[in-house]
Amino acid sequence: MVKKIILILSLMFCFANADVYEKNCVECHKQLPVSIDKYFYKYLLIYSSETDMKNAMISYLKYPAKETTVMSDAFISRFGIKKKSKLSEDELKEAIDVYWQKYKVFGKLK
Amino acid sequence: MLASKSLGIDFHQSEKQTLFRFLSLYILLTVIIISVFSFIYFELQKDLMLQQKKSILQKYSKELIEDLKHLHINFDKTQFYPRSDKFNSAIFDSEQKLIFSTTQIKLRLDKILYFENEVIHLVNIPESYYLGAMFIVVEMKDDKMWSEQTKKEIVIFGGITFLFMLVIGYVLLRLFLKPMRDAITLLDEFIKDTTHELNTPVSTIVANIEMIDKSSLDEKLVKKIDRIDIGAKTISNIYQDLTYLTLGNKIISNNEDINIEQLVLQRIEYFTLLSHTKKITISSKIVEETLLYADKSKISKLLDNLLSNAIKYNKVGGDIVVIVESRKFSVDDSGIGIAEDDISKIQDRYTRFNKSSGGFGIGLSIVSTIAKEYNLKIDISSKVNIGTKVSVSW
Repeated sequence: MVKKIILILSLMFCFANADVYEKNCVECHKQLPVSIDKYFYKYLLIYSSETDMKNAMISYLKYPAKETTVMSDAFISRFGIKKKSKLSEDELKEAIDVYWQKYKVFGKLK
Repeated sequence: MLASKSLGIDFHQSEKQTLFRFLSLYILLTVIIISVFSFIYFELQKDLMLQQKKSILQKYSKELIEDLKHLHINFDKTQFYPRSDKFNSAIFDSEQKLIFSTTQIKLRLDKILYFENEVIHLVNIPESYYLGAMFIVVEMKDDKMWSEQTKKEIVIFGGITFLFMLVIGYVLLRLFLKPMRDAITLLDEFIKDTTHELNTPVSTIVANIEMIDKSSLDEKLVKKIDRIDIGAKTISNIYQDLTYLTLGNKIISNNEDINIEQLVLQRIEYFTLLSHTKKITISSKIVEETLLYADKSKISKLLDNLLSNAIKYNKVGGDIVVIVESRKFSVDDSGIGIAEDDISKIQDRYTRFNKSSGGFGIGLSIVSTIAKEYNLKIDISSKVNIGTKVSVSW
């Protein structure tokens, strides 16, 4: 019984987080010609570890700047710098966690 | 002919010990030096091999980075990690967390090039972290050819060096032992010459004293003659010891059944006068009469030496008891005794444990030689300042 409750709560938590990510990230990125996973691999190429990558993403979402972007100059000149995120620190963390879980390399290589 | 040779001894026990200790130390040092050089040589050869393999591993690493780059770009289409028959690989993120590995071995990231568990590893840090891989490790098995070749070289050169050092050691040993050998030869020659020169005067003195009719002399003169008799007997004993030492092995033994109790009484009588100088009482205790099949003069010499030592190392007014039992006799004195550690050394030639008494320290060595000839068992029990008991059994 306890196990079931824990499982239901966990699933609810995930869906709730997924909701933040889906509503606030995927919705906007859908409209861009570059799919959302490409940004993930750009960050991975530079930051390598989970901690460094998440910190860099949150930092950029809070204070987006030409100097800190991982995207190419051509991309920036075409699409410009994104607007500052209105999400709270916790919401940002939740969204980034979902993003990491969705595209992380760990456990996917065969 | 050297006196030591006539005794069948080429080297003194301490010489043998010196020789053994020197050789052990020399061989140990040689082995240590060869081992250290062998180790250094082996490590150098290993480094050389690693440098040779480094370029191959760098090539493999470059190939892997190229494949990882392709995989990174197409990760949405394929997640198949690049593999090769020639090498194994693993990738780690910047926190040294394993992303993927084709090897079961636990890898280290604190060294660029290392050799462990017969596998050569190269750790590479690429410019871009494809798939998040900051550390790329490529490894290949060692073909062991270098180690077999190196071990063969070490065995051959180590063996040659060891033999060469042994020859040098032997030459050095001969040089070191030369003064010791010379000293022993000199002492032997001295004993031989002294023995030869003592023969005539000692015989003359002893014969003439025996011919003196003491009953016609006054008491004072008898005392003086007795003192001369004691002195002459002492010299005679030393002379006989030295003669035995130089000629002992050449003397043909006339073996016969000896009545030990008779011999003991005879020898006690011989030493009575000498023992009186130190006010020592010599007594005998015949528990059981016994026979020994041996040369009488040699057994007499053996007993003389035991009695002489018992007198020499006894205190003034002490006692000596000679006990005869079945197939055994013993000389028990109330002398200075011998320390426990020194008992084993006492039968060595020229060993004396009390410098205050004279002598060459050859008495017990002669006892030991005679005992060896007739398979007699010598037991020495002693307590310092209480006394010594020397038992001879067969």
